[in-house]
Amino acid sequence: MAESVIIKNVTKTYRMYKTKGEQLGDLIFPGKKGSSFNAIENISFAVEKGDVVGLVGINGSGKSTLSNIIGGIIPPTSGEVIVNGEVNVIAINAGLSNQLTGIENIEFKCLLMGYSKEKIAKVLPEIIEFSELGDFIYQPVKKYSSGMKSKLGFAISVTADPDILIIDEALSVGDQTFADKSLEKMNEYKKRGKTIFFVSHNLSQVRSFCTKIAWIEGGHLREFGPTNVVMKNYAAFIKKYHRLPPAEQKAFRDQLADRRKHSKIMNPDE
Amino acid sequence: MRAFIKIIKEQFNSFYLIMRLAKFQLRIDNQNNYLGFAWEILNPAIQMTMYWFVFGFAMDRGVMKSENGLEEVPYVYWMLAGISMWFFINKAILNGSKAIYQRYAMVAKMNFPLSVLPSYIIMGKYYGHLVLVGAIIVVCWIGGYPPSIYYLQLIYFLAMSYILAFAITLLTSTLTVVVRDIQMLIQSLLQVMFFLSPILWDRTTKMPEWIHQILMLNPFYYLANGYRASLLFHDWYIVSHWELTLYNWALIFVLLLIGSKAHFKFRNRFSDFI
Repeated sequence: MAESVIIKNVTKTYRMYKTKGEQLGDLIFPGKKGSSFNAIENISFAVEKGDVVGLVGINGSGKSTLSNIIGGIIPPTSGEVIVNGEVNVIAINAGLSNQLTGIENIEFKCLLMGYSKEKIAKVLPEIIEFSELGDFIYQPVKKYSSGMKSKLGFAISVTADPDILIIDEALSVGDQTFADKSLEKMNEYKKRGKTIFFVSHNLSQVRSFCTKIAWIEGGHLREFGPTNVVMKNYAAFIKKYHRLPPAEQKAFRDQLADRRKHSKIMNPDE
Repeated sequence: MRAFIKIIKEQFNSFYLIMRLAKFQLRIDNQNNYLGFAWEILNPAIQMTMYWFVFGFAMDRGVMKSENGLEEVPYVYWMLAGISMWFFINKAILNGSKAIYQRYAMVAKMNFPLSVLPSYIIMGKYYGHLVLVGAIIVVCWIGGYPPSIYYLQLIYFLAMSYILAFAITLLTSTLTVVVRDIQMLIQSLLQVMFFLSPILWDRTTKMPEWIHQILMLNPFYYLANGYRASLLFHDWYIVSHWELTLYNWALIFVLLLIGSKAHFKFRNRFSDFI
């Protein structure tokens, strides 16, 4: 099978400053002031077409940074991501305006997603149906409950038909019936052989949906492989981690965080 | 130059997108007001009345001469014709400069041509401008300045206002992402430009020639007097001031060149700054 996404030695470094002065200094003399923090460090793995990859790890481990880099939203500091095909990030709440009505928002967000006039006319009825909003579709979105807003956003987002899909915590929207419907939609993508990256803390969902798992810990790729193997290890780790007293949990997190801090910009080749 | 061509192409290819998003922006801006879009006209109208009251009535400016000294019009028409473009330029540059850092999050996860962000904000303000100019034409007509063949120039100057606003905001919208303070600087500079342009007053002919020459380098000088020449005076301003015409297009071209270069240099890294 063809490789769909190749991630090669990807590192993302954020600059951190204690004061505005430091930030200004760093802007004028790059690398002299402030400190660096590697959100992810030297991650490499390759994904084949049709793979459904679950990105797992505790909070702050760098899952979202990695998924954003794959989605092309943020550039890596070093390394590269080779993507064969069109990528789309399912961003439920992005691009919705509270002032506009539901139906106006559908056109608005579709425009932002780059749809043509004709395509918008085509998907409009599908979105209205999928969102289950009924007459509320003519009300301004500011009157919506958060669940209704997510439903609308999700219904619009899934009209995209990319080769590679990135889903970041998207399947937990709405009530149970809507969540099931969303999962069904995702399974439909899976059946059609799309490559999917799935970021979630819901382990049972990850286990049933994903074919491969990338376990990120403290910005490093700890393990990558088939779901049954990696999930067993990860579940065991989570169980152990939860049993630790809060002080030791914190110590573990601090230890991971220290590894990612650097006072100077690192040369990625070293 | 490559960046410049890419920007121009992106703008033309996104024409429908810009028009639609501008319309939505107007709706978003005016959604909460009962009078809605009317405020886009009422606001300038109130300000113009005040300027007329202070300068035209209280300080009694009387009549204003055309730039070549051949024609005279009462102050109020002179002021109206010149100030109309300022309400547009001012709002367009202020809001357009904020466009990328304010709206980046909205489009970050989509494949959106980022140079369209400032242009659709400008276009939103442009609709109001067209209506305002229409209203001013009616006022001038009633005041005894009916449409003439010189109105043809108006199309040119209207287009130029938009292009100038885009050229400036293409650059400033990128700069404000990197250094947020620039937004404050732009705000102050616009105030300075307002008073340095012949919008409310024009005594430049009574100043030493070299000061007059420097003031003419301000692009809003050309625009304000261009609108006047089209609406009130019988003067082919584009030709009679051909040096200024050339200078202003060169200025726009340089701004677009630098702006597009800066835009593409930082485009991939906007997320790091926001």
